[in-house]
Amino acid sequence: MRALIIDDSAVMRKVIERALRQAGLELLEVLQASNGEEALQALRADKGVASPIALIMSDINMPVMDGLQFLETRRDENLAPGVPVVMITTEGSEPFVLRAIAAGAQGYICKPFTADQVKARVLPLLHAA
Amino acid sequence: MVATETDNIQEDLMSRLDSAVSEVFEMMLDRNCAPLDTEVDIDERITACIRFSGAITGECLVYASQTVAQIAAEALLGTVSEPSDPMVDDAVGELCNMIAGGWKSKLDPSYAVCLISVPAITRNPVLDLASHPGVTYNRCYAFQGNVFGVSLAF
Repeated sequence: MRALIIDDSAVMRKVIERALRQAGLELLEVLQASNGEEALQALRADKGVASPIALIMSDINMPVMDGLQFLETRRDENLAPGVPVVMITTEGSEPFVLRAIAAGAQGYICKPFTADQVKARVLPLLHAA
Repeated sequence: MVATETDNIQEDLMSRLDSAVSEVFEMMLDRNCAPLDTEVDIDERITACIRFSGAITGECLVYASQTVAQIAAEALLGTVSEPSDPMVDDAVGELCNMIAGGWKSKLDPSYAVCLISVPAITRNPVLDLASHPGVTYNRCYAFQGNVFGVSLAF
């Protein structure tokens, strides 16, 4: 499968990729974006691809476009419909969680996290998709 | 000596900080991390700064020597790096991000209406909170004999 990881930290993108592989996901390709705008560009370019992106992991606090704005724009443009989005962020307060869910996120993981937490949140979503 | 209300507030804030730091190191680096009783001078620092705005206004700094930052980056990534690798700076920034966010999450829910910035990271030795107008709290921590510092100011 192909995954899109959105985080302004290159270190965190690597950590998340590592956690996904530890969860047993066979990742053929991991696309990376450092903000919501780059992520939208990646999704627009992914339209019509034979094996489209099947999982999106996104931070919230990012420059240029944050994760919540990304979710809302993705929904408005109907990009990657049906693809599970899991937020992975330090913002664990209820207003952020509710806004993310309202904008289409299916999962929410607070940093710091363990690989087991990633596995527990992500695998059920992929099985259901 | 009777503890004042200020002493109790400080102890509470630092206790939450100790908890946040410990969680980050145990969950992300698989390392035990403990607070030190004294402050330690740290040279050749890499410093990351997060700003709080909203219900809390202030800053959180995490700083480490380049060598300790490299060790932390390797623990986080599972790969070896050079002290000059930009990923080492990024790792300090992410540690600051998670420590600041974790500390904020442990406060009273009324403080949840507070934004945290993306981290600013520098190897410039002059970045510290010495001239911050408010109250500053400093703590040093050690993991496997490696020392780093955290400062909170608001």
